[in-house]
Amino acid sequence: MGEAIQKKLKAEVEKYALMQKDVSKSVSARQKLETQLAENNIVKEELDLLDSSNIVFKLIGPVLVKQDLDEAKATVAKRLEYINGEIQRYETLLKDFEKKSEQQREILTSLQQDFQKAQGLAAGKV
Amino acid sequence: MANKGNTDLEDLGGVVRLREENQKVVKNCESQIQHWKKVLDDYEALRDRLRTLPDQLCYEIMVPFGSLAFMPGKLVHTNEVTVLLGDNWFAKCSAKQAQKIVEHRMKHVGNQLDDVTKTMKNFEARVGFAKELETMSANKGDYVDIREEVGNNDSAITKGKQRIAHKPNSKPKMDVVFDLKEQDEEDEGKSGDTGSRKGIISEEELWARLDELERLEELQDEQDRFSDNAEVNGEESSSSSEEEKETDAAPPVNGSSLKPSWSSVPHGVQPLTDRKREEEDGSCLPTIFFSHMVEPKKVRINTGKNTTLKFSERKEQKENSKRKKKNGHSNGPSHHELHRITTPADIYRLFVDVKNGEPIPRKSILKSRSRENSVCSDTSESSAADFEERRMIGRSFSHDELTHSDTSDGITEEDSPTAVPLQTPSRFEAFSGLVVEKDPMPSGVPHLTIVPPALPTILERKQEEVAPDVPPPEQAPKRVSKFKAARLQQK
Repeated sequence: MGEAIQKKLKAEVEKYALMQKDVSKSVSARQKLETQLAENNIVKEELDLLDSSNIVFKLIGPVLVKQDLDEAKATVAKRLEYINGEIQRYETLLKDFEKKSEQQREILTSLQQDFQKAQGLAAGKV
Repeated sequence: MANKGNTDLEDLGGVVRLREENQKVVKNCESQIQHWKKVLDDYEALRDRLRTLPDQLCYEIMVPFGSLAFMPGKLVHTNEVTVLLGDNWFAKCSAKQAQKIVEHRMKHVGNQLDDVTKTMKNFEARVGFAKELETMSANKGDYVDIREEVGNNDSAITKGKQRIAHKPNSKPKMDVVFDLKEQDEEDEGKSGDTGSRKGIISEEELWARLDELERLEELQDEQDRFSDNAEVNGEESSSSSEEEKETDAAPPVNGSSLKPSWSSVPHGVQPLTDRKREEEDGSCLPTIFFSHMVEPKKVRINTGKNTTLKFSERKEQKENSKRKKKNGHSNGPSHHELHRITTPADIYRLFVDVKNGEPIPRKSILKSRSRENSVCSDTSESSAADFEERRMIGRSFSHDELTHSDTSDGITEEDSPTAVPLQTPSRFEAFSGLVVEKDPMPSGVPHLTIVPPALPTILERKQEEVAPDVPPPEQAPKRVSKFKAARLQQK
């Protein structure tokens, strides 16, 4: 009885570990997106400060490609939107993962309690 | 203390961990601050460079060639600066524009630095708090955890509050107490010349008595709950407790000793307690409380249980107790107590009083006769049947003698042939193992009418048949045996 519970407990623990990994992955991705968001905001501001006399380049690989200021601005804006969307998506993902991990945690605790009870009973019997 | 020590250790562990975590965060913040400061310095240098760069048309510099060589070269178009805007975006700007950008970025960095310093300060405060907590829990620091235990039943201060928590039953007793107090005050007033002083003293004594009474009332309430088996216990202890009320002396000790003796003691010891109680009754003012607590005993239990006392040994005691009780009853407050319902037991008593018409038969006559005539069997394990027998004995006697009950006619008529008290025990022997009555008082009268001729149980009938066969003269020698036999039967 105790062993069965123990096996269950292990399985549940593994599941919980997987869920935690997912959660952490999504969290880190979101953080990356956050930084990109901040950066692009700065770029936007800088581009706004520039006037047409300035030439804008974009680094694509080892090449600096000339860009139009307006195009650059538009591109940056689009990128910003994209980043925002990604952040939203990752937020929902994170919530789901957290819910699942919570459920898993509850299952774990209940199993742990059962296990302890079984162990306690066994100890009492012994 | 051990528990407190353990909790302290646990708290210490938690506090230590807290402090360590906070310190980690503080260190992290410090490193970030350093980083940002460095960045800020770099930007400042850059700014300066950009400021001075357009001064000359071209600069002669040693250009780094790979990682190991330099080459002399010229720096031209120094006003044109390609600025990394972020996210792989570049912009060609003039030096001044670059300068603006740099200043812009420096602002950002400054903001970051401010945030980090704020968090660091925050966590430093937390660390300090954790340290203080640690020292506090270890009782090393100046701060001490103030704990005050709530004390119960401290006499003088909490009297009013205790009274508020009173149960309703206690009020009449309070009245009784007040009566006592009045008497006491009167006595004190009479005796004392310094009436004011004695008045004050009496008040103090009154307060002390009130406290005792409250405690005793609580005890009584508890005892009342255990009514069935512990009636005697409760009564005795209550009686003893009531005696305590009256005497601010050793009886509390005796009463407390009585209580455990009651609860734990088999019937063999009960007579001792009876003795004690009776003795105490004689010593104190037993009248008030003893009466209304004892009477039910007398009716039901005393007739039964007091018969645990062997005749030879305890007749005298019983007689003495009777005398004391009689004397007690002669007092005024005792009568008050008799007729005043303060507890359910009082109702019982009064009911019995009403039924029997007089308190006396329960106490004196019945007891004497019941004790004299009835077989003294140890009714320790006897059921209510025995009690009811005793009660019926008493009642039958009362009916025989007093004819107060409504149904006395039938009973007297039936009992008249058996008016001889000697005979009744035989009948009651018949009823010894039989009576199933559970509500003695309300059904008492009809039972009295019904019981003698016929009993619901078959056994009773059989024994009735058997009983008359038993010759009355056998009662004298068999007094002990019959009840014992009954008891044996019951067992």
